[in-house]
Amino acid sequence: MSKPTVGIFGLTGCAGDQLVILNCEDRLLDIVALIDIRDFLMASSENDEGCPLDIALVEGAVLSRRDADKLRAIRQRSKILVALGTCAVWGGVAAMDRGKDRARLLEEVYGEIGLTYDSSPAQALHEVVKVDLGIAGCPIEKEHFIAAVAALLNGDTPLYPEYPVCTECRMRENNCLLIERGELCCGPITAGGCEARCPELRVPCVGCRGPAGDTNVPSFVAMLEQKGFDRQQLAARLRTFAPEGVAQ
Amino acid sequence: MKILKLPKEKLDLFASVVQQFGELHAPVEQDGKYVFKRLMRWSDARLEYDRTILPPKKYFLPPRETLFRYRPGEGFVPHTEGLDQRIILFGVHACDVYAINILDRVFAGKYPDPYYQARRKHIAIIGIDCSPDKHCFCRSMRADFVDHGFDLFFYDTGDYYQALVGTALGDDMVLATGSLFEPVDGTDIDDYKRRSWNKRRAFQLEVEIRDLPEIFEMEYQSEIWEELGEKCLSCGSCSMVCPTCYCYDVADHVELGSRAGRRARSWDSCLFASHALVASGENFRGPRASRIKFRFYHKQRGFVAEYGRPSCVGCGRCISACPVGIDVVQVIDRLRRVQDVASR
Amino acid sequence: MLLADEVATHHPVLSANPYQPHLARIVRIHKMVENNYLFTLRFAEDHLARAFRHQPGQFIMLSVPGVGEMPISVSSSPSRPEVLELCVRRVGRVTNALYRMRTNDVVGVRGPYGNGYPMQEIMGNDLLLAAGGLGMAPLRSLLWYALDHRDKFHNITLMYGAKRPDDMLFREELLALVDRTDINCLLTVDADDSGTWKNHVGLLPTLFDHAKIDPLRTYAAVCGPPVVYKFILQRLLDLGFPKNRILMSLERRMKCGVGKCGHCSIGYKYTCLQGPIFTYWDAINLPEMI
Ligand SMILES: Cc1cc2nc3c(=O)[nH]c(=O)nc-3n(C[C@H](O)[C@H](O)[C@H](O)COP(=O)(O)OP(=O)(O)OC[C@H]3O[C@@H](n4cnc5c(N)ncnc54)[C@H](O)[C@@H]3O)c2cc1C
Ligand code: SF4
Ligand code: SF4
Ligand code: SF4
Ligand code: SF4
Ligand code: FES
Repeated sequence: MSKPTVGIFGLTGCAGDQLVILNCEDRLLDIVALIDIRDFLMASSENDEGCPLDIALVEGAVLSRRDADKLRAIRQRSKILVALGTCAVWGGVAAMDRGKDRARLLEEVYGEIGLTYDSSPAQALHEVVKVDLGIAGCPIEKEHFIAAVAALLNGDTPLYPEYPVCTECRMRENNCLLIERGELCCGPITAGGCEARCPELRVPCVGCRGPAGDTNVPSFVAMLEQKGFDRQQLAARLRTFAPEGVAQ
Repeated sequence: MKILKLPKEKLDLFASVVQQFGELHAPVEQDGKYVFKRLMRWSDARLEYDRTILPPKKYFLPPRETLFRYRPGEGFVPHTEGLDQRIILFGVHACDVYAINILDRVFAGKYPDPYYQARRKHIAIIGIDCSPDKHCFCRSMRADFVDHGFDLFFYDTGDYYQALVGTALGDDMVLATGSLFEPVDGTDIDDYKRRSWNKRRAFQLEVEIRDLPEIFEMEYQSEIWEELGEKCLSCGSCSMVCPTCYCYDVADHVELGSRAGRRARSWDSCLFASHALVASGENFRGPRASRIKFRFYHKQRGFVAEYGRPSCVGCGRCISACPVGIDVVQVIDRLRRVQDVASR
Repeated sequence: MLLADEVATHHPVLSANPYQPHLARIVRIHKMVENNYLFTLRFAEDHLARAFRHQPGQFIMLSVPGVGEMPISVSSSPSRPEVLELCVRRVGRVTNALYRMRTNDVVGVRGPYGNGYPMQEIMGNDLLLAAGGLGMAPLRSLLWYALDHRDKFHNITLMYGAKRPDDMLFREELLALVDRTDINCLLTVDADDSGTWKNHVGLLPTLFDHAKIDPLRTYAAVCGPPVVYKFILQRLLDLGFPKNRILMSLERRMKCGVGKCGHCSIGYKYTCLQGPIFTYWDAINLPEMI
C-alpha cells in the first residue's frame, strides 16, 4: 500500500503549530516513515503543489481573501482536512477584535491606506470550508498531533477531551488559583487536553485551547464580577481566544 | 478489637519502623493546602491537616490508568505494573476511610474490579482522628467514625495516640515496633470519651439524612435544580475531588503506524454533557440542570437504594472546590425547608 | 463468570478480570440493510466458543482493537451456540471501524452482560414480541429461543414494523415465518414503493388488529425507537397488560458493562446490571427512564 500523501499549510498564524510538528524529535522519523509529505512550506523547498492529498493539515486563521482562496484550493485537493491549532479551529488570537468595525480598525492601524488592504474579519477554517478534524491548542500538543496521525492512518478519528481544564487541574491536584487566590483563571470554560499546564506552574489559564465542549459563560462571568473583576477587562480576556465560544 | 496506646513523642519512631511495610505517604503542605504524597522525611508530614485536595481514592483508582495493552496476535494483555506496590497511607481521616469502604463495595459485587482490588490489598491505611472545620459534616453523614477499613487508627487523646488495630497487618506493624505501644487503662478510656464528646460538639455544619431519599423524590421537580443548573460550570471539580465519585471513561490509545495500543480509563463526571450521550445524539441528561440534579440524586438518594446509605461522607471537598459556591449542605437544607405552599 | 475464570491462571495479580476481552474472529459479514450489517463471530479459543452461554436480551462488550469498546446485543439465540451473531448499525467511531473490518479479522469480546429476558418467568405463557426498526436486533435472540423451545411457550406473536421493505432486518428469515402455524408472524412496512411487498402496510400498532392477545397470560417484549415505545406501550396498557409483564430493552451509554463506570445509570439503577431489560413498572418508577 502506498503511503498517504500529506500536506502541511499555514494561513495567517504564527507557524507555532508547524513548529510543534518539526519538534516531534524522536517521533518525527516514525511519522515521516509512515506518510509522504508532499507539501510543507516550512520544512522543505521542494513542494509538490497541486497534487491530491490524503490529509491536509492547516494552521492559522483565514484573514484575507488570499487565505480563503488558498484554503479552498487545499480543500479541493484533500480527502481529510485537519484544522491545526486554536486559530484554525476557533479563529484564535486573530479573531480577537473582529467584533469591531474592520475598516475603522485598519484605518486606526495603517492610516488611510489600510482601507485598500486585503484584510477580512478573521474566520476559523470551518467557517470557510468543511473541516474534518480540529486539533485545538496554542500551540497544539505534540501528543495530540501524533494521536491524530496514528488514528487517521488507520481511518479513525482521534478522541480529545471535551471537559474543561479544571478537570485535569484537579486530577493533578493543583491548588486552585481562582478559588484560593482570586486570580482570573479561565480553566472552567477552556477545553482540557493540556494537562492544566499553566495552573500546574501557578499561572492562571488564559483559555488558549478555546472553549470546552459545554461552557456556562454567563455564570462564569457573574462569578468573576462578584469577585470584583471589571466587566470590560473580562470581556477582553474572554474574547482573546474564541470569539464565538465565550464572548457574551 | 485490639486497642493500644502510643506515647505521642514516639510517633516518629513508629513511622520509621513502619516503613519496612511499604513506601510511606502522608499529607504534606502545598501552598496552604494539603496533598497525600510520598514522604521524603517524616518532618514533612502534616498530621493536623484539614483535608487533602484529592482524597486517597487517587491511590486506589488513579485519575488515569492503563488497563490493557493490545498487540495484534497477542490480544489484550492486562497492564499490571505498579498494582502490587506496597504503600502505607499515614494519616487518613475517618471520612476518607469510610469513603474507601464505600468504594470497596462499588468495586466488588458481581464483577470485582481487579485493579482496584489489587491496590487495595497492597496499600495499608493508618487512620488518624481529626477536628471538624467549617466545611465538615461527616457526622451528619455517619462517617465521623469508622470501625473497619483501616489497618491502624489513631485517636489523639492528649499525651497519647490511642490505636485501634484493624487488621493482622496493623498488628504486625505494632509488633514490629517492639514495645512502643502500651496497653490502655481506665483513664485512657475516659480520655477517649472526652475526646469523642468534644469532637461531636465541634461540628458547625449539620444536615439530616433520614428520609432524605423520600424528600429527594418529592422535590424531583423543584425549581432549585434549574437554579443550580444555571450556576454550575460543568467544570467537573466536585467529582474529581469527591472521595466517593467513581465514574470513569474508557478510551483506546493507538500507537503510531499500527493497531497496537493501550486501553485506559480516566476519571469522569456526570456533570459533563457527554456522560449520558449516546450515538444517536440523544442525551438522557442533556440540560445542565438535569446533570447537577443527577449528581445530588446519585449521591444522596440513588446510592441509598443500592447500598443502604448515601455515598456522600460529608468531607466537604466539593464545597471548597466549586468555583461558583454550590454547596451540598445548603442544597439539602433548601430541599428540606418547609415552603409556604401558597407561594409555590 | 466463566470467561473471567479463564484468565485467572494467567495473571497472578489480577485474579479475575471482568474487563478482559477475548479474541474472536469475524467469520461472516452480511449486509442486511444499508448501514446495518450482521457480523458473525467465533471465539478464537475453541473452549470459549463452546463455553459461552447467554440469555436472550443480554449483550456483550465488543472491542475493535485500537479504537474502542461498545455494548452490542447478541442477536443469535443461545439455542444456536458456538457463534455469536451481532446486528450492528453504523453510527460512530467504533461502529465505523468495525465496518472497515473484513472476514477473518479479529475483535475482542467479553460478556455476556445484563439481565436478559426473564425466561423462567415467561415460559408457560404467551409471548408477544413487538419491534420497530432496529429493535429487532435484541428481540431476534428471544424469537429464536422461543421457536427452538416451542413446547415451552403457548401462543407466540411477532409484530415487526419497518419503514420500507428494504429497511427490514432479518427480512428473509422473518418472511419464512409468515406461513408457519406455530407463530403468528406479522410484518408491516410504513410504505412500499417496491410493489413486491406481500405483507401488511401501515404503522406498527395497526398490527394489533391482526393479533389475538390475551393480556393476562402474555408477556410482551417491546423494543424500538422512542415512537415505538410510545404507541405500543399505550396499546398494551389499553389492552389491560399488567405493568410488570411489559418488558422493554433500554439503551444507555456504556463504558464498562459491569456496574462500575457509572455511565449507564438511570436514577439508581445501572442499565448494564439491572437492565437492559426493564419492566414497564420499573420504567415509570425511575426518573429519566424513557
Ligand atoms: C444494552 C445495549 C445493547 C445494544 N445493542 C446494539 C445492537 O445490537 N446493535 C447496534 O447497532 N447497537 C446496539 N447498541 C448501541 C451501540 O452500543 C452504540 O450504537 C455504539 O456504542 C456506538 O458506538 P460508536 O463508537 O460507533 O459511536 P460513538 O458515538 O462514537 O460512541 C462512542 C462511545 O460511546 C458509547 N456509546 C455511544 N452510543 C451508545 C449507545 N447507544 N449505547 C451505549 N453506549 C454508547 C460507547 O462506549 C461508544 O464506544 C446497544 C446499546 C446498549 C446499551
Ligand atoms: S486553577 Fe484554574 S484550571 Fe485549575 S481548578 Fe482552579 S480554575 Fe480550574
Ligand atoms: S459529595 Fe462532597 S462532601 Fe460528600 S463526599 Fe463527595 S466531596 Fe465530600
Ligand atoms: S455523583 Fe456523578 S460522578 Fe459521582 S459517582 Fe455519582 S454519577 Fe458518578
Ligand atoms: S464544582 Fe461546582 S461548577 Fe464545577 S461541576 Fe461541580 S457543581 Fe458545577
Ligand atoms: S456500563 Fe459502566 S456502569 Fe453500566
